[in-house]
Parts: sequence; structure tokens; C-alpha cells
Amino acid sequence: MRKTIVILLGIIGAVLIWFTSVSAYKVFRADWRLPQTPLRQSAEYRLVLITRELETPFWDKVASGAREEAAKHGAMLEVWGSYNNDSDEFLKKLEIAIHSRMDGIIVQGLDTDAFKELVKYKAASYGIPVITVANDVPDSLRRTYVGSDQFRAGQMIARQLAEDMGPEGTVILLRDSGNAHFQEQRLDGIRSVLESYPGIRLQYAETQGTRERVIAAMQDLMNRSPEVQAFIAANANLTAAMVQEIGRRSRVQPYHIYSFDDSPDMQTLLREGLIDGIIEQSPEAMGRIATALMTDWLKGDRLPLDSNGYHTEIRLRKADDAR
Amino acid sequence: MNRIQNKILSLTGIVLFIMAAIWMTLTYYSRQTQEQYNAILQRYLRMNEVTGASQQTITDLNNYLIRPTPENLDQLERSKERLRQAKYDVHALRNGDNDFDLTSYTNLIDSLLEAVGRALMFQSQMVTNDSNEAFNEATRISRSISDMTLTLLDTELKTYDRFYRGIIERSTELNRLGIWLHATITFLLLLFAYWFALSITRPVQKLTQAAKELSRGHFDRKIEVSSNDEIAFLAKMFERMRLSINNLITEIQQKAQLEHELQQNKLLLQESRYRSLQSQIHPHFLFNTLDTLSKKAYLEGAGETSDLLASVAGLLRYSLRRMDRSVTLYEEVRVLRQYMDIQSARFADRLRFVEEIDDSCLYVQIPGLTLQPIVENAVIHAVEPMEDGGTITFRVAEDGDRIRVEIADDGPGMPEEKVAQILKGSAQETAGHTTGIGIGNVVQRLRLFYGQDDVIDIGSRPGAGTKVVLRLPKVRRNDADDQRTDRG
Repeated sequence: MRKTIVILLGIIGAVLIWFTSVSAYKVFRADWRLPQTPLRQSAEYRLVLITRELETPFWDKVASGAREEAAKHGAMLEVWGSYNNDSDEFLKKLEIAIHSRMDGIIVQGLDTDAFKELVKYKAASYGIPVITVANDVPDSLRRTYVGSDQFRAGQMIARQLAEDMGPEGTVILLRDSGNAHFQEQRLDGIRSVLESYPGIRLQYAETQGTRERVIAAMQDLMNRSPEVQAFIAANANLTAAMVQEIGRRSRVQPYHIYSFDDSPDMQTLLREGLIDGIIEQSPEAMGRIATALMTDWLKGDRLPLDSNGYHTEIRLRKADDAR
Repeated sequence: MNRIQNKILSLTGIVLFIMAAIWMTLTYYSRQTQEQYNAILQRYLRMNEVTGASQQTITDLNNYLIRPTPENLDQLERSKERLRQAKYDVHALRNGDNDFDLTSYTNLIDSLLEAVGRALMFQSQMVTNDSNEAFNEATRISRSISDMTLTLLDTELKTYDRFYRGIIERSTELNRLGIWLHATITFLLLLFAYWFALSITRPVQKLTQAAKELSRGHFDRKIEVSSNDEIAFLAKMFERMRLSINNLITEIQQKAQLEHELQQNKLLLQESRYRSLQSQIHPHFLFNTLDTLSKKAYLEGAGETSDLLASVAGLLRYSLRRMDRSVTLYEEVRVLRQYMDIQSARFADRLRFVEEIDDSCLYVQIPGLTLQPIVENAVIHAVEPMEDGGTITFRVAEDGDRIRVEIADDGPGMPEEKVAQILKGSAQETAGHTTGIGIGNVVQRLRLFYGQDDVIDIGSRPGAGTKVVLRLPKVRRNDADDQRTDRG
């Protein structure tokens, strides 16, 4: 009897002490200091990539290429920007980037006075090099441009159109009213090819970027030119609304529709066969090359930069390939 | 000695120590937690301070631009200084996650200060347009700083998210620890207190038990207390007391017994004195009467009766002499003959007595009344119960350095056990001896007298008679007894 009680008490004591010590260990094990994430001492340059289209497949690729390259060069790179082509927010970010004295700014060009003002005066006054990427603004005194040769892209798309449609027909060229440099380049390229086809009639449609405007413009155009056979959206962002409006009126298939890839909807449209072809650019290469050029320039390895720009690869991708 | 006081002190000490240890641990813990919280809050406050300072700077700049008084300028300078201090403070918060943002942040502050400087410069040069432009820029930068503060705070939350959760977890764990600790300490203290109380009360209980035993009069149980304190000392003293009392009691008991025996002996002595007096009165009267009767019988011509009476008187006289006095064998034989005369008168033809005596041997010393009881024994057992009577043969002969005395009968004899009993002196005396002296007495006296065991031997078998043989040394080893005087 006594032995049983002693054993029982011993077990109770052991259990209590065990749980107490486990609990005490958990309480006192913790580190008292704030965890310090180590500083990356090697990071010489602070670079920033600013875009108006955050979290789109195209710009995600640009960002990832840029990050990769920055890591390789031991530079810190942040991706800032706005969503859905919000220019005000974009410019604000750019200004913050200038005010916070980044070592280099890689920016999606915006062909507006405010943008040019910032790059020309503000950035220059703080001595910050600016490289435009994907969309160029040549008269903004940016160091250089990295991205597709938009003129050649226009030519490629026009040649494909001529091949698909034949030497005769009416083509609607849909453009954004912003007259952005890259858009003009594309149109120039298209025009330069189609001029040699006297049978092909070009019709220009200018619209603002919002969905309603695009739809309205499309309705107007198609009412006026019911015999239209092909559409080219010079600005990829207009394509989705355009295709939707065409689809409302009739079947989309008979029309030849072409565009560019720098809009999130393009891959889907292409896969569904709603458009016939897009110009595919190389966003990762853009990010990579831009970052590499920036770091090289900052280090003084590559002086001066070619202000005409560094062109990345482009290729035409047809709906047949995508399917 | 491990005293009870020490025990209580040590218990208190242990309890105090445990309490102090827990208290100190918890104090240390809460201080650490406090410091940790302070460090965290400090970070947030410093970041917030930048926002506050930058907004204050803008407000002061605005005031100064509207009303350029020295007071406002002074105010502006002070808030600029505050902003610089804030920038310096926030610089220390740098870590791997916010490195980029923090650099931008400090640069923004620099830009703000520059813009403020530009605004002041244009103001002093009266270029109001540019001054306003610079002011607007400063305002924008200030707003950016506010935004950046939020971004930084966000980063901060993300960076230390797990850390903060850890703190919360730890505080819940602390509550649990409190409960466990409480349970454990309660358990251990109860156990310890029980053990401690037992170590005091158990000896007391033992002592109480012992005292109870003593009060009941059981003085023979040992008092044992195994502890090592005052109680043990008490118990030791108690034990000593018990022993003393025990010894005293034994002594008293012995004394009482001695007293009792003395009393009894006194009574016996008185009785025996009385008896001896009695027995001295009667024999003398009896002798005289027997003598008178003998003479009378002789005078009246009854010679045989006269002789018989003379024999009785002689025998009586002899038997009244002190027994421890030695006599010669001759005297013993004479008394034996007188006795046989008396018995012959009684049994007539049934008793046949045969004597073969070497007279040269009769000088030897022998305790008085030795032969008569043996012969009487033979008469009682071998002649009296037999219808045809019996023959008793008495022989005295020389046997080397001893005298051999033989008394044999042809009676029924006795078993060997009986013989052994007699020789050992433990046989029950049969009553009816003339002189009141039994055979056992004879055996003892012979052995004492000669100092030898083999002085007497009895040979007997059932149905084959009994033969008692005395082998008396010619010279006694110790003749001291002879020197005694006869007072009889």
C-alpha cells in the first residue's frame, strides 16, 4: 500500500516537473533581440523599375529579367509602378524615385510632357540616369532605350497582313489618342510596308484608352466601312475591347486581326483564335539588358550609351501556332 | 544534532529560495519583454516621427512664406533640426528587408530639406514663383514621405510578423507555465511539508507510545527513536530512566524475596528448635522408662523381655546421637545386631539373618546409622511382604585397601531404573523407617563422608533379590570430621 502511494506520488511529481520544464523551455528559449536580416553590403546601386502595368504577364517578365540581372551585378532593384495604365500614380512614383535619389531608374516610357519634364529636368538635376524600356520617349533625354524596334514590328505585322489578306482590302488601324512614340513607330512601320500595296486601303481610328470609347469608335468605324477585312491594334491595350465589339456584330473568324503582345489579354485572345497574330517581344531580355546597361553605365564600363537604343528580339506569332 | 529549529529554518529557507528564484526569473522575464516591446515601439515611433517632423516642417515653411518673421524662421529652423534628428534616428533601423526603402526614405528627407532650402532661397531673392514651385515640391515630397512611412511600417510588420506572433505565443505559454509551476510547487511543498512534519511527529509518537507503555508498567521494552534531534535526546534520557527504574524494581523484588525467605527460615528455625526440644524431652523419659522396664522384667524373671527392652533402649539412644558424627564399624554392627534382635522377636521364624563378619575389619570409621537403614529397607521390602519371610545376609570382609560390607536379601528385587534413582538420591522415600532415615539419606551421607562416589553400589534385578555393597576405604581421605566433638 505504502509502496503504491510512493510510486504514484513519484509519477505525479515526474509528470508535473516534465510539463513545467517543457513549458519553461518554450517560454525562455526565445531570442530576446529583434531578428536582424543581414544587410547586403555588396549592394552598390539602388535601381528601380517603374511601370504603369504592374502584375501583367509582360511586365512580370521584364521585372524578373531585371531582378535576375541585378542580383548578378550585386545591385538592389525594386519594382514600382501603377496599375491599369494609371499615369498619375506612375508619374508620382517616378518623382518619388527621383526624390529618393535612386542610382538608376529604368522606366516604361510615357510620351507625355509631365514625363519628359521629370526625366529631362528633375532626374538630370539629381544626376540620375534614366533608361526607358519597352516604350521609348526619345526626346526626353533618357540615356538609352531598351526594347523592341517598334518600326520593324510594324513592318512585320504589315507583311503578315498582306500575306494573309492578299493585296486588296480595307484595313482599320486602331490607335490610342496619346500619340505615344512607340505607337507612331509601329504605325510608321505598317505604313511603310502597305504603301507598296495600292489595293490596300488604310483607315485610321483614334480613340481614348477606356473600354467604352474603344467600343464606340469601333461601332462608328464599322458602320462607316462595312467592307473592312482586317484590323490592326497599334496599342495592345485596345485589342480586347475591339475584338469584343467585332464579336458582337458578327463572327470574328473572317476578319484578319493583328496586334502586339504588351497587354495581359493578348495570349488568351490568341489562344482562342479571336485574333490572327501578334508581335511577340522579349520582355525578359528587355529587363535584363536594361539592368545590365544601367549597372555598366554606373560603373563607367560602357560610356557612352547608344542613345538610339538597344533592340531586343521580336517575332510574329500566329493563332495557328498558339493552338 | 539536527535540531527541530534547524529543520524549520531549512524548510523556510527552501521555500523562500524557490519563491525568490521564481520571482527573480519572472522579473527578469518581464523586464526583457518590456525592453523588447520598447524596442519594437521605438521603431514605429521613430518612423512616425519622420512623418510628423516633415509635416511640421512644411507647415512652418508655409507660415514663414506667408509671414516671413524671424520667429517663424526660427520655428522653421527648429523643425528642420527635428527632421534631421529623426532622419538620424531612423537610419539606425536599417535591416536587410528595409535597406532599399530606408535609403530612399532618408534620401527623400534630404530632398525635402533641399526643397525647403530652395524655397527659402527664392523667397529671400523675392522670386515668388520659383519659391512657390519649391514649396509645392516640398509638399509633394512630404506626402511621399508619409506614404513611404506607411510602406516602411508595412515592411516592418511583414519582417517581424513571425517575431510578433512568437511574442504572443510566448505570453500564452507563460500563462501555462504559471499554472504548471503553481501545480508543481504546491505538490512538492505538500510532499516536503508532509515529510518534514513526519520527521518531527514520528519520534514524538514513538515517545508517546513508550511513555504509555511505561505508565502501564511495562518496563522491559526498549525505547528506540531513530531521528537525530531533541526528541532523540529526550528518548535517550527516557530510556536511561526506564533502565534505572527497571533495575530498582528488580532490586526491590529481590530484596522482598530475600525478606520472605528469611521470614520463612526464621519460622522453620523456631519450629525445628521446638521439635528438637520436644524430641529431647521424650527420649530421655523413654530411656529411663525402658531401663526401668528392663530391670523390672529382669527382676521378675522375664530375661528375654528384659533383653529386648534393653535392645530397644540401646537402639533409641544410638539413633538420638548426632548423625554427622562418625562411629566405628564395630559400633554399627552392634546396633545392627540389637535391631535384628528386635526384628527377630517380631518376625520369629520368617526372618533369617546370616552374619559373616571378619572381626579384624571392624575398626574402620563410618557415619553413624548407615547400616541399620539399609537392613531395615531390606526387612521392609524383602521380608515383611513375604509369607515365608526371607533371608538377610550380612558380610564384612577385607577387599584390598577397602572393607567390603555386603547386605543381601532374597526378596523380589527392583528394576534398574529404581536402582539408578536411588543412587542418584532422587527416589521417593517410603515411610515407615524406624529412625526416620531413608536409604537416599544414607547414600548421600556416605558419599559426603568419604568424598567418593563409588563407595556404595546396589545390585538388583526383579525376582533375584537385592544386594547393597559398601566399599569403605580403610583410611579416610579427610579425617577432619573426626575431630568434631559430640554434643549429643
